[in-house]
Amino acid sequence: MARVKISEWKAKQILLGEGYNGVQIRLGKKQALSASKKWVVKVDQGIKKRFKQGLVKVGVSAGEAVTATKEWEKKGFTQFIAEPVFQHENNEEQYLSLERVRDGVRLLYTKDGGVNIEEHPDKVQMLVLSTPESILSAETQTGLPHGFLVSLVEKFEKSFMTFLEINPLVVRENGVALLDAACLVDSAGAYFTREWSEDDVVKSKAKHDVEKHVEDLAATTPASLKLSVLNPDGALFLLLSGGGGSIVIADEAQALGAGKLLGNYGEYSGGPTREETYLYTKEVLALMLDSKAKKKALVIAGGVANFTDIKSTFAGVIDALSESAEKLRKQGIKVFVRRGGPNEAAGLAHMRTFLEKENLLGSIYSSVDPITAAMRDAIHFIK
Amino acid sequence: MSLIEQIRKNNNGIVVAGNHPAILQSILDFDFLSGETEPSVKVCLIANRSTLKLFFGTKEVLIPCVKDMAAALIVAPEAQWLLNLQSGRRVFETTNLFFQLFPKALGAHVFAENVPEKHATDLIALWGDKKIIAGPSGVGILVSGVLKLGASGGVGLAQIAQGKLTQKGSLAVVSTSGGMTNELIVATAHSGKGTSFSLSIGGDRFPITSLSRVLELAQEDSQTKAVVYFGELGGVDEYEIADLVRTKKLTKPVLAYVAGTIDEAFEERMQFGHAKALVARNDESARAKRDALHAVGVIAPETFPEFLEAMKSLPGEVLEDVSASITPLMNRAKSILSTREIVDLESTPEYVSGKKLAKSQSYAFARATLSALLGRDVSDVTAAFTESILTQLIDHGGHVSGAVNTMVTARAGKDLVSSLVAGLLTVGPRFGGAINESARTWLRGVAAGKDAKTFVEEETRAGRLILGIGHRKYRVGVPDPRVEELSRFASLLKKHPHYDFARAVEKIMTGKQGTLILNVDGAIASLTLDILTECEGLTHRELTSLIDAEFFNALFVIPRSIGFIAHFMEQKQNDEGLFRLPDELLFVHSDKKQKKRK
Repeated sequence: MARVKISEWKAKQILLGEGYNGVQIRLGKKQALSASKKWVVKVDQGIKKRFKQGLVKVGVSAGEAVTATKEWEKKGFTQFIAEPVFQHENNEEQYLSLERVRDGVRLLYTKDGGVNIEEHPDKVQMLVLSTPESILSAETQTGLPHGFLVSLVEKFEKSFMTFLEINPLVVRENGVALLDAACLVDSAGAYFTREWSEDDVVKSKAKHDVEKHVEDLAATTPASLKLSVLNPDGALFLLLSGGGGSIVIADEAQALGAGKLLGNYGEYSGGPTREETYLYTKEVLALMLDSKAKKKALVIAGGVANFTDIKSTFAGVIDALSESAEKLRKQGIKVFVRRGGPNEAAGLAHMRTFLEKENLLGSIYSSVDPITAAMRDAIHFIK
Repeated sequence: MSLIEQIRKNNNGIVVAGNHPAILQSILDFDFLSGETEPSVKVCLIANRSTLKLFFGTKEVLIPCVKDMAAALIVAPEAQWLLNLQSGRRVFETTNLFFQLFPKALGAHVFAENVPEKHATDLIALWGDKKIIAGPSGVGILVSGVLKLGASGGVGLAQIAQGKLTQKGSLAVVSTSGGMTNELIVATAHSGKGTSFSLSIGGDRFPITSLSRVLELAQEDSQTKAVVYFGELGGVDEYEIADLVRTKKLTKPVLAYVAGTIDEAFEERMQFGHAKALVARNDESARAKRDALHAVGVIAPETFPEFLEAMKSLPGEVLEDVSASITPLMNRAKSILSTREIVDLESTPEYVSGKKLAKSQSYAFARATLSALLGRDVSDVTAAFTESILTQLIDHGGHVSGAVNTMVTARAGKDLVSSLVAGLLTVGPRFGGAINESARTWLRGVAAGKDAKTFVEEETRAGRLILGIGHRKYRVGVPDPRVEELSRFASLLKKHPHYDFARAVEKIMTGKQGTLILNVDGAIASLTLDILTECEGLTHRELTSLIDAEFFNALFVIPRSIGFIAHFMEQKQNDEGLFRLPDELLFVHSDKKQKKRK
């Protein structure tokens, strides 16, 4: 995905450089904290509203900080940040964010920051920074310390950040303190920057095994392979192609009142090979066979492909289906197909022959039929 | 004149950066079926080859490939478009350079999905106002019957026909999704309205040419009667449409489908396929955007089937059906090697005329060659005869084993000597080695004093093939012109027993089958024996020792080396990259049961 979160610790390290005194703590790795200081310790996995969830401890000793991380580890968290406490008053807290927009970098700033920024949109200054002059003028307009914004935007650009939120920000005569920071970077920038690496991208929640497998597979191909588990005990499982077409087909489920019966959403596109399609299909089938729903249907559908070869991708789908044909039959699963594109006739003919032979055929449609036809039939089947 | 109308009148030359054979082939097919006389793709930036072979109609053409944009400018200075198929890492640099070097160019399509946002916004700042740039991502630009810049409309021949891509239609197709662009194009064809033009703005966060600009193009284009739009949840593009409609900048009917109501089924906002397809704020939901479009009079149906139905009541029609049939193109077989004619096999030079040597030339190279091989100066007849066979044997087309080996080796990136040797190593009993063995046969037959009939019977009984006899193409009644020409040398000799014997054997053999005629190898072998005997005074023993020393093979290897070198050079100049046999030309049989996939 294009915009990904990196850890708060890494973001601050990029922004503050050598002078940054925060410590990163990761699961299973010991990290010595100075016993003479009081610490703020937080879960550092890109989670919103950490304070309300009890994932922040303020003013604790080194020992207490370690105890806190141990507690959080039990809840499944793996990455933390510890910083020396920065004493300040609530009314010193300011808000600043930068976001890449079409015509430059959009700055949102208010002196009255704190946690309630969303409730006071009227107090927020909004400026678009597109030229060196516009940055200097923004410094004047906001009253931020001389050079701070220039340096911040430079680092923002250099490290391919797309969103940076500092809240609260404390500005004093002798410098600026970033108390909390959230940062999104552009994953496509990884090749161009040395400021961060794949290792700094935060992994949010623990994922379903099947999602992890697909993620690993997607990392090794130029084609696009995506899968999200929606309802492990769903009745409709989807093997969809195309970013846009897949949503149209899923929409049809929602329109026919079956949105909550979807077991997964996902799509393959961009010309995956037969082998890649085989591996992807295997994951969807594994998920489907595990579902406890009584009546289940597999929807193999997509738009009229531009360059994804239907014959070879369907060959991969059939490879996977034939491995599980017996189990699919035992569970009474039927397969509903709609697809078009290069080598459509040959691909659909193979699919039909295979599904008929294995007694798995629900219905099969080509590019002359609506994109939603297979989904409609599948819903009638499971209801 | 509006931009789309300008494109319709233009000569739309394309510079391609990167390689995607299926997309490029579809562009050439589109050009051909639209009635163009030459491909719109003028040059490709590909590092490891100097030509790319594609079909234009049923014939193959070689598209020049160059290493950098400056070289592309030299090959195609008039190009108007860039089709950038490179990875996201190189997009900014190449696209920027293209517009710098081709200031008159109209636009580009950037195909890659992983273009950094910063690079996209930089391209917007530099070229966004001046050029039409579809992407990053998506399937590019299609102006029906005129320009196909990218995968838009599909890449198969059947898809070009099904989507009526070469026929000028009435609906502008605008979509963030590449796949749905195609779905919509097919739908416009089914509805009988056809597509006037289509621009896929791509699913990235910052499309270089914005949705508003595309809608402006649709409004300006007189051929476009209405707009069909596909959008998704996430982003706020649809509010741009609503604004344009409200402010009457877009007055043509708009039919829109905003996908993503499925998001309402989940508690958490979900990231869908495209980068932008995530609802960050409430106004980015499919529902909210549909409502906003409704409010200004855009037709925004609830379901996709309703959307398709609504398309039928839009204004417009397919304006003209100019497309050629795809049928002749359906069974094209790709060639696997590209070569040229190295010697004109149809024209054989005349050496003997009216029983005399025709040209009083010095035949210096033939003389020097024979002097080296035989250790003696030779007569005019011997020199002329040798000259004629050296000339004839230079090449026999790219089909033969030695030429194929040379070409395959050259394409593997090997040097001249390696490629030449790879070709020469095929010379032997089945290829090119027949002259030597044929000479042995004629010499033996004449020395034994047997008549041809007995000789043929003995050879056949012993299971020996008579080399120098038989041709795949020529037969009795359709003589091989090269053999005809060589045979005239017999008229310069007092006696030609080996040649006579060979002809006698031919007579017996053609009695069985018309193609078993004396071939070039057999004619060369027999006449060389007669000429060396009469003009050079060689004895039977000396001739035997020449055969054992493969002198007759040398007569083949020397000229054919030139042919192989010519094939090597042409391959280096074409530089089509490493050779690999396509699947359909390789039969893989297996005795074992197919291994189960693990």
